[in-house]
Amino acid sequence: MNMNEYVNNPDEAKEYWDRYRLFYLLLVISISLFSVRLWYLQIFNGAELRDFSDKNRLKEMKIKAPRGLMLDRNGEILVQNLLGFEAVILPQYIDDIEKLSQVVGPILNLEPQRVIERIKRSRRVNGAFAAVKLKEDLSREEVIRLKKIRLEVSGLEIRETILRNYPLGENGAQLFGYVGEISKKQLPKLNKDFDGKIRFEQGDIIGKNGLEETLELTIRGRDGVRLVQVDAHGRETVSSASPNLYSESLKNQEPISGQHAVLTLDKTVQEAAWKTMQTNQRIGGIVAMKTNGEILAWVSGPSFNPNELSTSISSATWTKLISDPFKPLRNKVIQDHASPGSTFKPLIALAALQENEISDSTIVSAPGVFYFGRRPYHDHNKGGHGNITVYEAIEKSSNVFFYKMGIALGVDKMFNYMSSLGIGSRTGVELKLEVPGLMPSSKWKKDNIGEDWQPGENLSTAIGQGFVASSLMQLAVSYNAIATEGLVVKPYVIQKILDMDGKTIKEHYPQILRNLQERQANGVQISKKNFQIVKEGMRRVANGNAGTARFWKIPGVPFAGKTGTAQVMSFSADQIYSNCTSRPMQQRHHGWFIGYAPADNPEITVAVLAEHSCHGNTGAVPLFRDVVQAYFQKYHPEVIEEGKKIAKVKAPSVEKPTASEDD
Amino acid sequence: MDISLVTGEKSFFHKVDWTLVVLILGLHGLGLINLYSATHGPLDQNVAGLFINQGIWLGIGWTVFFTMTLMDYSLLNRIAYVVYFLNLGALLYVTLFGKVALGAQRWIDLGPFHYQPSETMKLAMIVVLAKGLSRYSVHGKGLGFQELALPLFLLALPFGLVVEQPDLGTSMMITAVSVSMIIFCKVRRSIIMGAALFLAIAIPVAWKYGLHDYQRNRVLTFLSPNNDPRGTGYNSIQSRIAVGSGQFFGKGYRNGTQSQLEFLPERHTDFIFSVLSEEWGFVGSLLTLGLFAGLFYTLVRIASGARDKFGALLCVGILFYVFWHMFVNIGMVIGLLPIVGIPLPLVSYGGSSMLTTMTGLGLASSVAFRRYIF
Repeated sequence: MNMNEYVNNPDEAKEYWDRYRLFYLLLVISISLFSVRLWYLQIFNGAELRDFSDKNRLKEMKIKAPRGLMLDRNGEILVQNLLGFEAVILPQYIDDIEKLSQVVGPILNLEPQRVIERIKRSRRVNGAFAAVKLKEDLSREEVIRLKKIRLEVSGLEIRETILRNYPLGENGAQLFGYVGEISKKQLPKLNKDFDGKIRFEQGDIIGKNGLEETLELTIRGRDGVRLVQVDAHGRETVSSASPNLYSESLKNQEPISGQHAVLTLDKTVQEAAWKTMQTNQRIGGIVAMKTNGEILAWVSGPSFNPNELSTSISSATWTKLISDPFKPLRNKVIQDHASPGSTFKPLIALAALQENEISDSTIVSAPGVFYFGRRPYHDHNKGGHGNITVYEAIEKSSNVFFYKMGIALGVDKMFNYMSSLGIGSRTGVELKLEVPGLMPSSKWKKDNIGEDWQPGENLSTAIGQGFVASSLMQLAVSYNAIATEGLVVKPYVIQKILDMDGKTIKEHYPQILRNLQERQANGVQISKKNFQIVKEGMRRVANGNAGTARFWKIPGVPFAGKTGTAQVMSFSADQIYSNCTSRPMQQRHHGWFIGYAPADNPEITVAVLAEHSCHGNTGAVPLFRDVVQAYFQKYHPEVIEEGKKIAKVKAPSVEKPTASEDD
Repeated sequence: MDISLVTGEKSFFHKVDWTLVVLILGLHGLGLINLYSATHGPLDQNVAGLFINQGIWLGIGWTVFFTMTLMDYSLLNRIAYVVYFLNLGALLYVTLFGKVALGAQRWIDLGPFHYQPSETMKLAMIVVLAKGLSRYSVHGKGLGFQELALPLFLLALPFGLVVEQPDLGTSMMITAVSVSMIIFCKVRRSIIMGAALFLAIAIPVAWKYGLHDYQRNRVLTFLSPNNDPRGTGYNSIQSRIAVGSGQFFGKGYRNGTQSQLEFLPERHTDFIFSVLSEEWGFVGSLLTLGLFAGLFYTLVRIASGARDKFGALLCVGILFYVFWHMFVNIGMVIGLLPIVGIPLPLVSYGGSSMLTTMTGLGLASSVAFRRYIF
């Protein structure tokens, strides 16, 4: 062996020749290992991994199905859809939230800090994979500016959306409802409620309140799915890079648009109702229906703008809506109940006549004060009304007359009649959150308050005070029963459901719940004659010389009805009517007027609640008149024209309406 | 003996080992084709310049290659220790003052480029071991403790420094190449058995106390990547999907969705082989392995024709250098080994790796240039 380092013998290098076999062994083993592994991945598992790579880059995008429209009875659009754009952040793809907020914030006129907060909050509340809507209903310019910076910031997406639009604006907002994103809390509950019918997902838009909520199943349609190619940052990419885009298992699915709803509403009447409420500066509710139960108009005020509420509403606006003492979000036609006050009197009169406590010729003494036991019960008119029949009692709204009827009938008889007429139970109109109201009975008081019924309570019950509470819709239904001489109908607002092509697939018809001329299970049966007596009394309210609503007329269309006052706060008897208008708004009484027209052959029934207007006559009757007039102007213009001619011939009335002569 | 008389009769053209050159060119070409695809996807905006950079590195690489070819490698035999200790000094400097990247200090800033002493240390190690080991004969029982003491000491110094940086991948590479060379020169069977036993005990201990969290995570992730598909397991899964989805013929050039849509991380450097497998399929992958096998065969052939033991061992060292880099890189890409930041020699983007590899192969070419003529 040569140990010299510097002079090598070439032959020596040959001594390694055997050792190269070691390396070849290593090489063969490793190349084989790699080849087998590559075969396993690319051939054996190739198809499966190809599928994986497709799923990697293909993202299922939900295409929202357009919700169905809402039309009025003549096909006029009440609720529709508009196309729009929204800016959305996908939190899982954000790589620089600071930069994103700095770039996107100013374009959308949002504080960068607020953008970060919103994203972080959504991450916390809805998880990292839920899209965060930064702004809905983007302007054209915003869309252009966002598109320019889209590639710079990962996580930003501009989506085409369908915006729900309510052309009537604030008018009828509580009836139509609005739409909004499902909250994470709502999700499990909704999926339970709609089990097997719709599968809701986070971020879905659903109807909130009103008909949007009631009709959810019908008008929401079915969302579609579109596959888009995305990069690892979730950005949509142009698919031309790859010809083999879609695997067979992955297919697009077209959205199916929702079905349309034709409502019983009449846009003209609806608009007239809202307009008169605005011009008279009233708040409260108006509901107008045909005597068969088809609702023509339904307004509640003050109101809110559902267009605003259906896109992302600022929390300031929301707080304002929630804390408004006059409750704009509430549907005052069905969600509030109050003492019906004097509007109760025609109903009590029916009971008294039918029970033969009086006949139409019975004369009853109606002084200004009535003592029951030792307690004085006052009339609103200090001098009283003298000796009167039931006609005058209704016309002048005598309290004492009806105190006496209350004593004669007793609470349980009144309960039977009032219940049959629809007081104290839900009318069954399609909207949620309808209150049942309350009609007391002796049993009810025992069960719920634990006390016996006091005879004195018969008096207040008979004039619609005390425990009695009724919603505007209930009063409309019970007055409609008088107008039709006994038919208690189920009011309804959804007339037809149309499919996409406008073909009717479901139709609703008027539904008579009871005919009171026939004997009811609780023994109540009211004769045609007695209905006619009460109707005459109510005709005089608007047309008689002393009627509480006689200052408002519709040319050619005499109407009938009854005024009433609902106390908001308890006052002593002499305070009740004296100084209402001098009190703060929130303490003033509500005014009612419920009636129908024409008086002799009624076509429509209209109920008006004028909150905090102090009086039923000045507060509510003008609104009633405008709504009825709008209806007749549209459907019977000749009657109005004829009436106007006659009115010109007659001398104009010199009397001026006085609010004090109320109820 | 006057060697020039033996070799001097032939011209430069005849003395260069053209098989080696062609194979390297083949791998370079493969690398460039894939680099173009990986840097010219629909989303790439600022990486197209990398392709040009790589071209420049290739030019420099070939210049170095032929410079080394013309240089008599015997010079290295004389200055082996100088090379080794200079490099060690640089390594020590980096460990103490180097630039920090990804939680490790690895390079010295030299203006336009970064000098990474751990990279050249691989070559210095090969040179110094070739010198040391060429003194011993492979006839007989093999190397004993006495003979092993110096090589292991020479290995221990840089190993310690690189681990300290910390750069586990490179330190393992240095060890793998060095140990391969030592074993190539035949070690006593009893020592090999003893070392195996020692490792069996030492590895669990090192696992517990010697590794950084991120290093431990990488190994854990390798063992079950699906535990954390969005985190540390992401690279491994995406790479496997890329390779597998290529199927037999691949998705076609520049049609690899995994790479074009940026699902693959580090696709122009460490994961270049995934790009290749995705777009060229099983066929392309095997072709690449074939080119490497051809390169290895050529290096063995050059080594066995070397005029002296130092030259032969130099070639063997470079052979192991390329082999282990390829082995770890491809093993990692196809999910057989944990994710370690080791590039695929001659194919991956990166100047440092390119220069080192081309210098090494240039040395092998120098050995071939001065080969023993029968």
